[in-house]
Amino acid sequence: MDSKIEYPRQTKTIGWRGILFALSVFLLSISDLSAGVLVAPTSVILTETKRTGRLTVQNPTDKPKEVTIHFSFGVPLSDSLGDVKISLQDSAITDPRSAVDWIKAFPRKMVLAPNSSQVVRFVARPPRDLPDGEYWARVVIRSQEGETSIPAASDQEKITTRLNMIMQTAIALKYRTGNLISKLEVVSTETKLVDSAVSILIDMVNRGNVSYIGLLQCRLVDAKGKIISKGQVDLAVYRDLKRRIVLPVAGENLQKPYKVEVAIATEGRTDIAAEDLIAGNSIEYSALVE
Amino acid sequence: MQRNSRMKSLTGLIVATALLAVIVGPSTASAQDVAVGQATATVLAVLAVTATHDLVFGDVLQGVPKTADKTLVADAGVFQVSGAGGKEVTLYMQLPDYLWNSTNEDRLVIAFSSTGADIDTTAAGTPAAHGAGAIVDQDPHNLPDTNIGATDNILQIYLGGTVYPTVDQRADAYTADIILTVAYTGS
Repeated sequence: MDSKIEYPRQTKTIGWRGILFALSVFLLSISDLSAGVLVAPTSVILTETKRTGRLTVQNPTDKPKEVTIHFSFGVPLSDSLGDVKISLQDSAITDPRSAVDWIKAFPRKMVLAPNSSQVVRFVARPPRDLPDGEYWARVVIRSQEGETSIPAASDQEKITTRLNMIMQTAIALKYRTGNLISKLEVVSTETKLVDSAVSILIDMVNRGNVSYIGLLQCRLVDAKGKIISKGQVDLAVYRDLKRRIVLPVAGENLQKPYKVEVAIATEGRTDIAAEDLIAGNSIEYSALVE
Repeated sequence: MQRNSRMKSLTGLIVATALLAVIVGPSTASAQDVAVGQATATVLAVLAVTATHDLVFGDVLQGVPKTADKTLVADAGVFQVSGAGGKEVTLYMQLPDYLWNSTNEDRLVIAFSSTGADIDTTAAGTPAAHGAGAIVDQDPHNLPDTNIGATDNILQIYLGGTVYPTVDQRADAYTADIILTVAYTGS
């Protein structure tokens, strides 16, 4: 393990960066969304002491939108290449960590008038004697045009088509109870130099009883310690997960062997409220590039 | 000098707007706290999925396949995902095999090629002229995880497809759904 890396990230004082991020979100909410439904926040946390939660669905367009809310189960899963997918399961959910059956939303169906918003509230009614830990569901917000029209053919012998473009946003909902442990373990790290990039594949396992939410940061350095490139990705490990980061090799007078410095921590996430993050272990190490 | 002055004005505008955003934007800015000498803001991100253009085949003739080209502005179906720039999202598209007529008695075959989607992470990009770094020729049934564009906080998907009417296809209006599901992979 190598702990030379110093990341000047902060959890509580974001300062100008936070303000500028707020600005970008604000501008996004008033400018770019010419025809969509906006959902905030992007995760909902419920606990045994706070069994209700809310999110806001906003229609910033000048057309009505039909919105429905339902629950699915899905956690980030990765393939052998480290690509991540979230497959949503709507029925026959047998996962013991599923909260789908005992979370309710109000309202579940609505027509949002132009430039209006609706608060959707959630309530958890968990079974008794639920073991400590975190239970998961995905809130699926489905939206489509409130008024649809089928184009008429210009000739009665012709065929016309209409494809309804339906949008779904899947938001993480978590219910927490009892003693919560956020702990991650790195099982293996593979590094490979391919052409002018280094591919890093990190295999991780969640050893806690909550999803490990944090930040994975990698730096590629040469034999003299010169930083060649760096990258980071938001991390959400529910059970086990492989993540791949590709770092470019660019620069002059670089000396082999290259080394990858890896840092994983639950700090540094600016998209999730600090009170919603469960502090977990930090991991720092380095690996030689093969 | 003029540039410095402009920069100062711009900075002032940004600060004023940011404060306004934090104060009056309760749906996007969740909490504000004050630390000594610094402003503290924890901001909850938003996520929005939009269909900005339908997949358009126009009039279709019996027995003549018709393609809606993903690189034609008038044809391509366009989905737009807006959120926190640089954050990775997983994209899942549910595509129909058929369109059905108004009485559900006849169906029209539709197919999507394994290279039938392009992903653009710029706001200025169009189906005809993608922005820099566009990921082209993706399988719409298996879209890759993609980072929302860091500059414009946006990601666009351009979709094309082909309908195959039979020679005795009933003249009618045919409909089907295309569903795009988006989720952040990091939460």
